[in-house]
Amino acid sequence: MALRSGAVPMQPYISLAMSLNRFGKSRDRGTTLSYRDRTAYALDAQLASLASAGDDSAFTTLVTRFQPAVFRWALMFAADPDEAEDITQEVFVRTYRELGQYRSDGPLDAWLYRITRRAATQMRRTRKRRGRLALSPGAQPLRDVYTTDPGGRVDRERAASVIRELFAELPRRQREIFDLVDLQGFSPAEAAERTGMKPVSVRANLFKARKAIRESLLATHPSYSELSR
Amino acid sequence: MTCEECLSELATGSLREMAADSAVMQHCATCPDCSRLTTLLRDREYNAANVLNNLPPMSNPITLAETAVSTAHRRRVGRIVVMLSGAALVVTIWFTAATLILPTMRSNGPTMSTLLTETIPLSCLSPQQAADIINPYVRSRGSTYYVPTSGISAITVRSTAAELAKSRDVIRKFENDPAAACRNTPADMLRKLSKDLSDAQIGNGQPGLASTKVPTTPERAEPKEQTEPKERTERKEPAEPKKQ
Repeated sequence: MALRSGAVPMQPYISLAMSLNRFGKSRDRGTTLSYRDRTAYALDAQLASLASAGDDSAFTTLVTRFQPAVFRWALMFAADPDEAEDITQEVFVRTYRELGQYRSDGPLDAWLYRITRRAATQMRRTRKRRGRLALSPGAQPLRDVYTTDPGGRVDRERAASVIRELFAELPRRQREIFDLVDLQGFSPAEAAERTGMKPVSVRANLFKARKAIRESLLATHPSYSELSR
Repeated sequence: MTCEECLSELATGSLREMAADSAVMQHCATCPDCSRLTTLLRDREYNAANVLNNLPPMSNPITLAETAVSTAHRRRVGRIVVMLSGAALVVTIWFTAATLILPTMRSNGPTMSTLLTETIPLSCLSPQQAADIINPYVRSRGSTYYVPTSGISAITVRSTAAELAKSRDVIRKFENDPAAACRNTPADMLRKLSKDLSDAQIGNGQPGLASTKVPTTPERAEPKEQTEPKERTERKEPAEPKKQ
């Protein structure tokens, strides 16, 4: 198909490496688990079992394995990457405490996701409660690592601006669903499984979130006023 | 496909899953406005996904795990301390209540439910006299007595069983005593005074007044009082209010 000038060819949002999640799990939409999935689940369950028995090295392995994913999930609940780091820390404290309650019949990452949601919600409430007494954001000191890693600081500021730009006005549910489906590449069914919502609700929230996020850009189109009538 | 249809699709559709041969893409190939908008939307979401998905966590996973373990241990100890403190607080409150507060409450006096009420009939004493007599004995918290104002010859006492019994005994003792002040009429008192006086005169060798008839009414006694010595008149004075 010949493209006119100005038209940009479509590119996949998430590359092949990104379409496989960080644990090597495929994003296949099928309901049957692949050998790779089953192996990953078995490994996670074994790690969780060892860690709950008091094996700290197994817990460290588990943290190393899941930290990037938990941090990424925390980003969608946080106002900036620093808050996401705090949520990540809290998630692993809770994980260590509640590992005995993990039933190995489900994927560990879904269980961790639920812990992340709970921790983020509770931390947000706590911050709101303490907000009146806290220092103003400008008065809070920067993390030490920013002085040694200016590049990291730039990346984080970009991430924070993306979060502000895309998610600031969205309700929490819509923000979560949009992030899971459109940015992280989960299917609506997987998002429903993780969030505990019905697939219909997931689709409805996704619909509303996309509309809210894209509306400002769509309004620049000459024909948008006719559409909005 | 028109621009409106394309915008409608772009507003809510998945840009990530948009195939190159889809209707939107075919329209974008012929419409620069829609193509520009589609590109902008896709770029923005692609960049957002790229920035967020590729942002690495800053903390070291080993440090993170160690911190998580130590924090979890510290919280567990904290929970135990809080539970023990709570238990100690409960025990302290219970102990304080059992050893200090309850005995103090018991020693402070009876509760309202242990007070008894009884009306004691009076045959000789007036209610006010009976009240004056029992006043020192009715002292516990909540105890009291009621003096009727309508002339009924009785007194109602509300008190503990012990105080009530004591009040009853004291009143009965005064009521049964023949020498009680309430039993002496003015005539009796005069007769007694005369006898005492004559006894005293006999002792001094003067004729006594023991045989003298004592008038039963104060009017008749008046002339004699004028003839009596001054000391007698003075000794009779306490009986004057009784006439009324």
